[in-house]
Amino acid sequence: MATESLELEEEGKIIGGNQHLIVDDDLREMGKKAAWSVSSCKTGNGVSSLRDDNLENYWQSDGAQPHLVNIQFQKKVKLQLVVLYMDFKLDESYTPSKISIRAGDGFHNLKEIKTVELVKPTGWIYLSLSGNDPRETFVNTFMLQIAVLSNHLNGRDTHVRQIKVYGPRPNPIPHQPFQFTSREFITYSTVR
Amino acid sequence: MEAILTDCVQNSLRHFMFKNAIFLCERLCAEFPSEVNLRLLAACYLQNNQAYSAYHILKGTQTAQSRYLFAISCFQMDLLSEAETALCPANEPGGEIPNGAAGHYLLGLIYRYTDRKKSAIHHFRLALSIDPLLWAAYEELCVLAAAEEATVVFGEAAALCVQKQYLHYGLASPNLHMSSEDYNSVSSQNFGSEDVSLRQLKHTQGNNLRDIPCNYHGAAVLSGPASQPQSGGPSNMSFYNTPSPMTSQLSGVAPPPLCRNVQPNGSNLHTVNTDVSPKSVVNSTIQAPRRKFVDEGKLRKISGRLFSDSGPRRSTRLTGDAGANTNANTTVIAGNGTNSSSKYLGSSKFSTVTPRTVTVRKGQSWANENIEEGIRSDAFDDARANMTSKSTSSFPSGDIRSLDQDGETVPVGGVVISGSKVISGASEVLGLLRTLGEGYRLSCLYRCQDALDTYLRLPHTHYNTSWVLSQVGKAHFELVDYLEADRAFSLARRVSHHSLEGMDIYSTVLYHLKEDMKLSYLVQELISTDRLAPQSWCAMGNCYSLQKDHETALKNFQRSVQLNSRFAYAHTLCGHEYVALEDFENGIKSYQNALRIDSRHYNAWYGLGMIFLRQEKFEFSEHHFRMAFQINPRSSVIMSYLGTALHALKKSEDAIKIMDRAILADRKNPLPMYQKANILMSLEKFDDALEVLEQLKEYAPRESSVYALMGKIYKRHNMHEKAMLHFGIALDLKPSATDVATIKAAIEKLHVPDELEDNL
Repeated sequence: MATESLELEEEGKIIGGNQHLIVDDDLREMGKKAAWSVSSCKTGNGVSSLRDDNLENYWQSDGAQPHLVNIQFQKKVKLQLVVLYMDFKLDESYTPSKISIRAGDGFHNLKEIKTVELVKPTGWIYLSLSGNDPRETFVNTFMLQIAVLSNHLNGRDTHVRQIKVYGPRPNPIPHQPFQFTSREFITYSTVR
Repeated sequence: MEAILTDCVQNSLRHFMFKNAIFLCERLCAEFPSEVNLRLLAACYLQNNQAYSAYHILKGTQTAQSRYLFAISCFQMDLLSEAETALCPANEPGGEIPNGAAGHYLLGLIYRYTDRKKSAIHHFRLALSIDPLLWAAYEELCVLAAAEEATVVFGEAAALCVQKQYLHYGLASPNLHMSSEDYNSVSSQNFGSEDVSLRQLKHTQGNNLRDIPCNYHGAAVLSGPASQPQSGGPSNMSFYNTPSPMTSQLSGVAPPPLCRNVQPNGSNLHTVNTDVSPKSVVNSTIQAPRRKFVDEGKLRKISGRLFSDSGPRRSTRLTGDAGANTNANTTVIAGNGTNSSSKYLGSSKFSTVTPRTVTVRKGQSWANENIEEGIRSDAFDDARANMTSKSTSSFPSGDIRSLDQDGETVPVGGVVISGSKVISGASEVLGLLRTLGEGYRLSCLYRCQDALDTYLRLPHTHYNTSWVLSQVGKAHFELVDYLEADRAFSLARRVSHHSLEGMDIYSTVLYHLKEDMKLSYLVQELISTDRLAPQSWCAMGNCYSLQKDHETALKNFQRSVQLNSRFAYAHTLCGHEYVALEDFENGIKSYQNALRIDSRHYNAWYGLGMIFLRQEKFEFSEHHFRMAFQINPRSSVIMSYLGTALHALKKSEDAIKIMDRAILADRKNPLPMYQKANILMSLEKFDDALEVLEQLKEYAPRESSVYALMGKIYKRHNMHEKAMLHFGIALDLKPSATDVATIKAAIEKLHVPDELEDNL
């Protein structure tokens, strides 16, 4: 996990990656509701490779840096976690080394919320979007942009194999200020 | 040749060798094309699950029997309009429905599935009045919430009706059934009269109640038939699935089920006094060793045997065997009476004979005494008086009582079964059906506690059957008493491992209890029992849903729908999954599908209400919750949601009233109290709200949201100390991430802005 904190504005370093994708139960993947686009791509290695749950194929960019992945939602959503799969052993100079995450309402007002430096990542990289402040657990936004600023060994183009975006689960019971935790409440809270 | 072929076909059918039967029957039809043979072929096809074949060969036929079979094939192929026209042709508005009770029942089903509730109810009631033992019709009436009390339906009038049927059928077909001895030797002359006998039967349905009164007292009747070799007749009839009106009227089984062909045999035997249908012959051979006969001619002996057997047999089966024999109860309750007889008659499965030896002997002695008993009203009354108390467990003694009574009856005609026997048997069956019917009716009206009490009145052997236990489980489920429901259902599974009835509800119970191990085990068992049953896939879907894999759960529920598109609960569960996936449009569609099948499925109304609540369409939401509430006025969950909707519509007074009712309805449900506190808070009645929440703390001490809400209220009151305390407790109880954020944010805002870093 990233160790940086926004207030100190220090670039965190992430070394290596995780073999398995393990996410909290109260988070759910939000990518299906978004429109995904990339700044450039090589034929055959387009944006769909980022979302197909297949770690064998990858997105390969084909232009100038920074390479961008844009994730646009139809309404403001709360996002908490971004997870990327990269493999230095396979991609070497195509592996990103510096990534910046920006959020905003659209292309015109994106603001950087996180920057991270990666060192030889192999596996799943977790990038939490939360701030230290408890009020900032989530980023409430229309759009997220993941920018690859530079690659390992100064490579021009980049390979990213998979990206997943997570947000909190909504309250299963509408019109409740808080979610229920105890069994008695949950048992009686719905009719099935 | 025709006779031989027919005989072979029926023999094959009796032994469930359908391929053989179909082949031979096709030869028969090719050689002797006649409607009778065509019907026989259709019957073979229907037995073999080839409704489409039966449909094609019977298309266009006009006779009542054929029309009935055709309607059944249409129904199985889901061609409801054709089935309807077959049963009541447009150009004969006053025409009689073929096959009496069974026909009415089928017609009722068709009306039900085409949304014509009133007509459906009318026909089910007619079916019940013709044949009070047609449990399936009563079941449908309960589901449609149009059933009268069981005591009325299965009461004395019904007993009379049943008895009359037996009597008259017996009398109506005296010339049809004879000389079992002849049966084995297939004499062509017999078969010549087949058609005749069949036609006679056809006409008997509605009319035989008044038919042949002369025979009633004619002792000569018996001897008369004896000389008429028409053994072919009964054999034909016994193998026809439903064409014989006698069988249909007495069949306690709805047309669709496949055990049809066994029934006719049973009823035939019962009704035909001197009947020696082929079955009886078979039976007689088995029976023979146990019986000595007062030989007043083979007829009498056979009839005596028949009736002494059938009477006790029925009752015995009801009483003694029910525990062990789940089939009788689980598959078709009404079949209880007839099932037993059919088992009796199904020579191959004659296991039921053995336990009957005791009673049989008694019956036999009775038979010896007065073979030629008829039905007399006094005998009738006596026997009935005897049997009104359904002391089923003491069957043998009961029977002896009736026997003694019978000893005094005056012999009448050839109706050997003696009205008293029939009456006693009928009363016992009806008594049983009364309890079961009342229980089922109450549980359909969601008066679950009453239903449970009613079921407890059943004798032990009946209570411990899979059907009853599933109903008990279902009642507990509706009362939101999941632990008891779990117990009842697991008992049901132990009693009858193969039964799938109610297992979908069981899986929901386990889902609520969050018992994923048990649920997966249940699913494995169900799938291995029957991969093609919708209940198994519902259970599987529930298992996935419990693990929050909503997409797979949805796929499973859709599979369940594919297997049986008339299974309302599968549609509702699909709806729930769509909602979990936030696909509200499809969710609404699924719920509406469920309601189209069963407009009293309150879960679907509730689901729709929830969707509209989410979409903030509060008027719609309130309407739907109210519909659910009208169907199930005892559910505290529904009441609390209705209250929430009312509150959203700003009708807070009503909302609070409903919440109070919900709290009263089920003390164990913490939700209404919580909602009430919510409402009070938004009405700014903070003290009342706090009071309620303090109470709630007692009920659910580890619920984070309670403390969070209290914290919020204290905050509004500016009682920062208490607010902080409660927020802290709330956080300790590990709420969800969103709530953590909210609570922490609330804590921050508690204090004056310059104490920002005072985080907890």
